Amino acid sequence: MGVATAPDVDLVSGNRLTALGALSAGCRFFAGYPITPASEIYRTMMEELPRRGGLALSAPDEISALAACVGASLAGYPAMTATSGPGFCLMIETVQYAVMTETPVVIALVQRLGPSTGGATQGAQGDVLLAEFCTSGGYTIPVFAPSTAAECYELTRSAFEWSERLRSPVVLLSDKEVGMTLETVDTAALAAGARPVPARRALPAENDAFAPYARTCPGEPPDFAAVGAAVRVVATGSAHDAQGRLRKPSPEVVDVLAALQAKIDAHAEALGSAHAELEEGADTLVVSYGISARAALEACRRIRARGRRVSFLGLRTLFPVPEAILSDALCGCSRVIVVEENLTGLYAGVLESRLDGRTLVRVNGLGAMIAPARIEAAVEGQS
Amino acid sequence: MSYLREGPGPYCKGCGHPLVLRALDQALSSLEPADVAVVTDIGCVGLADSQLATPHTIHTTHGRSTAFAIGIALADSVLGGGRLKTIVLIGDGGSMIGLNHLVNGALLNPDVTVIVHDNFLFGMTGGQNSAFTPVGFVTSTTRAGSFVPPLDLARVLLAARAPFVARTVTGDRSLPELLERAVAHPGFAVVEVLELCTAYATRWNPLTGAKLRELAGEAGYELGVLRDEPRPTFASGYRERVGGSEGERPPTPRPARFAHRLDSPVRLVLAGTAGERVQSAATALARAALLCGLHATQKNDNPVTQGTGFSVSEVILAPEPIVYTGIERPDVVLAVSDDGVRELATSGMLDRIGAGTVVLADAEVSLPSLAAEPRRLPLRETAGPKGAALAAVEAWIEQDGRLPLEAFHAAVEARRAEAA
Repeated sequence: MGVATAPDVDLVSGNRLTALGALSAGCRFFAGYPITPASEIYRTMMEELPRRGGLALSAPDEISALAACVGASLAGYPAMTATSGPGFCLMIETVQYAVMTETPVVIALVQRLGPSTGGATQGAQGDVLLAEFCTSGGYTIPVFAPSTAAECYELTRSAFEWSERLRSPVVLLSDKEVGMTLETVDTAALAAGARPVPARRALPAENDAFAPYARTCPGEPPDFAAVGAAVRVVATGSAHDAQGRLRKPSPEVVDVLAALQAKIDAHAEALGSAHAELEEGADTLVVSYGISARAALEACRRIRARGRRVSFLGLRTLFPVPEAILSDALCGCSRVIVVEENLTGLYAGVLESRLDGRTLVRVNGLGAMIAPARIEAAVEGQS
Repeated sequence: MSYLREGPGPYCKGCGHPLVLRALDQALSSLEPADVAVVTDIGCVGLADSQLATPHTIHTTHGRSTAFAIGIALADSVLGGGRLKTIVLIGDGGSMIGLNHLVNGALLNPDVTVIVHDNFLFGMTGGQNSAFTPVGFVTSTTRAGSFVPPLDLARVLLAARAPFVARTVTGDRSLPELLERAVAHPGFAVVEVLELCTAYATRWNPLTGAKLRELAGEAGYELGVLRDEPRPTFASGYRERVGGSEGERPPTPRPARFAHRLDSPVRLVLAGTAGERVQSAATALARAALLCGLHATQKNDNPVTQGTGFSVSEVILAPEPIVYTGIERPDVVLAVSDDGVRELATSGMLDRIGAGTVVLADAEVSLPSLAAEPRRLPLRETAGPKGAALAAVEAWIEQDGRLPLEAFHAAVEARRAEAA
């Protein structure tokens, strides 16, 4: 009773599909440093990027890796690095620099158990707030969270698309179990569905009085000119005016800072992405993301098979918080169960203020994937 | 056309930084400003951006200027036109924070020139001592004179194989020519310029411009061009050894498909010892399922060590897409070594074995009492330690009967061919 499937199904990991997604999105520069559980992205890019005319670099550490990516991006080439929590901690200074200089760059953060070196071969979802709030001032960094290998491909492409469009660092937040688990995936269908990622908005050619941080459209990033272009490019991580001149905060400098957030806010709804299975009349909504979303979906399907209604929301965009998707899913529910693999329910804390009086139940775990049975129990625990 | 702005700059009277900038301006006179990227570090040296009128300027973070410059220069030389001259302006403080990047630059050999403005202390923050403070030098944090010897950066970078290394003082009349030579070098060039900080260094030490050479002598610093040798750049090495636009790989030919009789998911755990091909046996099983048109997942677990300790693979085979990739209750447990069994006990998997679980275990493995009766096979004895996992999977497929052995053999063969 063999089941016919598409001809190009492959057994492939989320990490490999993160690399292939980056290549399909037009990544031209990669700098990496080995770290479990992200190393396969580095290795794959070292093998595949040069074949396609790109540059893949072995960096001596994570600080160098991200700085080289930002340098390459300033020169006009879409760039990515990949790391895990300990490496991301080293990169934070440069993430902030990318925010301030409005330099596109994608960081694949494959989470492992922390704090500190934690557990290299142990999955976790403990970096969700670290990734988002690593910037002084709390400027929103878009964070996408794939839960399957195929989503690693799709959301890495989204990460590039938004990074280039908004001129912002974007984090692709997976974990050991999403990144390293092998799955059968129809890779040909993935590649066939992938549209070209548009290039960042370039400076109009006739512009001869280029102000690198001036905006021609509100809610959009400044026009881009590459280091090496005919016009003079000024980049700086220090507080600056529209010309890129270092200044003490003046109204213009404050405007430039506010525009860093405004460009994200202006696109917040379009950045939102989720897998929703909402049921009419369900009193409970199960919200999850990343690897735990798979356990949550499994639990919801089992519950429905037993004849009880329950709604499921698997978030693919964590930040900016997809408010419209969330409020749509919350409609009609009196209870929200948030499932994530960390000690205290980090993202549940983000959602808490948005629940408008609904009961919040946290299902958390540490040291192992959360089993569907625990989520079923949480849903069934109360009628 | 000058690279510099006219008018008063931000620097103290007598400061070495503007002297270096003026020398740099002369050194760059034959280059198009659009082909010059100046990457500045933090501190007074980072104020240089405000003095530069025409080249691209990138003001970075403390110590990291070289790392950003490496990215710019490598991208331009490998992916772009290779016209860009990238110049780093960094102080002694930044050079110590970012010593790694300087060493890395020397090793990689991109087209980057680093000008180290060494005034022996941190000038912008109040004259604190740096790693470059000479013995006996008074700073705000070494009031009795520093007793820690200073870093001889030039020697460090010579050891790191930088192809161009020079050291001089701000009073050197040939500084413009020296900088021009450094910038013209196709690889990584470092020029350390010993300078006065007139805000702090000359206030607390009997130091003048004329005495900088004396101070260098006391510190054991050689002055002049210490190395100027050609060496293949990163871009030339990359093009030769790595790069090329071969395009995407041709798709792997898909082997024949096989029929199966699996109508519900199978959750199988394979537990053994790292280095004994446990995960590759599991991959062969998952690929065999793929060759039958089934869905499969393979979740691996091992300690941080590479060739010792346990190795466990959890494989799910199913006619429908697999949602949850973990195993709450195993249908099959294959135990091929004591390391593997110990891990299954630790993770609680042994407790989740039910009466219906099929357990196949090597004849020599110690097993506690289980909810299911294990079938013992001489796997390690007949197939050897590195063949035991594969033999266990094969034995299960044969006993189970729902997957064709030919699919498994084809998957193993394809894996061997790939490895070869």
